[in-house]
Amino acid sequence: MNEPLADRECPDQPQADWTPSEFADLYAEHSKAIFYLALRFLGDPQKAEDATHDVFLKAFRKMDQFRGEASWRTWLYRIAINHCRNLQQSWNERHMFSNADEAVWENAVAQSDSPFRVLETKELGERIQKALDALPGEYRLLLLLIADEQLSYEEVGTLTEQSGDAVRGKLHRARKAFAVLFKKTE
Amino acid sequence: MKQQKKLNSEQQQEQIAEHKVEQREGHEFASVEAVLRFDAAQTKVPSGVAERLQKSSKDLPPPPRSWWERLFKR
Repeated sequence: MNEPLADRECPDQPQADWTPSEFADLYAEHSKAIFYLALRFLGDPQKAEDATHDVFLKAFRKMDQFRGEASWRTWLYRIAINHCRNLQQSWNERHMFSNADEAVWENAVAQSDSPFRVLETKELGERIQKALDALPGEYRLLLLLIADEQLSYEEVGTLTEQSGDAVRGKLHRARKAFAVLFKKTE
Repeated sequence: MKQQKKLNSEQQQEQIAEHKVEQREGHEFASVEAVLRFDAAQTKVPSGVAERLQKSSKDLPPPPRSWWERLFKR
């Protein structure tokens, strides 16, 4: 079962409540995306595991609030982003975004234009995490969301409360910043 | 003798496998998104999450469908 539940054929006898197997389908389809977002956003596998559990439990309790205006994936991402942000607010931000940081990335165009070369994929996750951790939270979130091929620029904009055009503009800087930071992890 | 041949064959298979692993480990990605998609594809959700979720939701009432679902799914 890969198609979103909202897109399914209408059953002959609709049930008033969700069945456990329907919720299991929803989990099977979206848990990987939610876990990955939590993992790379929070930077801690245990916290990501807890967050994924909490996000789906919240979703289970709020299923009747899903109005079909967005896809299930987008709805779950919204819960996940709010949850992860709340978790982060209780921690000290490890990195502050400053104009000085941006100037460093802007001046590093040549470095960021080359493709990403990775010799050891087993170290890839670690390098990605280091680069993401050093990014401002907004850039980190934009990159993680836009990497999900199921989301459009407009949907990413809705999730991050800005226009699709604003997303495009910020993504340009976020990509550049990530490229510079990723190369530093070599 | 046959056993020796078999061992050589197994060693060859291992070498081929190792070579394939080395080939797989050298990657070039054209974009940040490609790097992240590759990383996401490699990432597995720990099985403990589903088990915990099943336990946590066991005693909860089944979630009702939203009004629009009940309306449009008739």
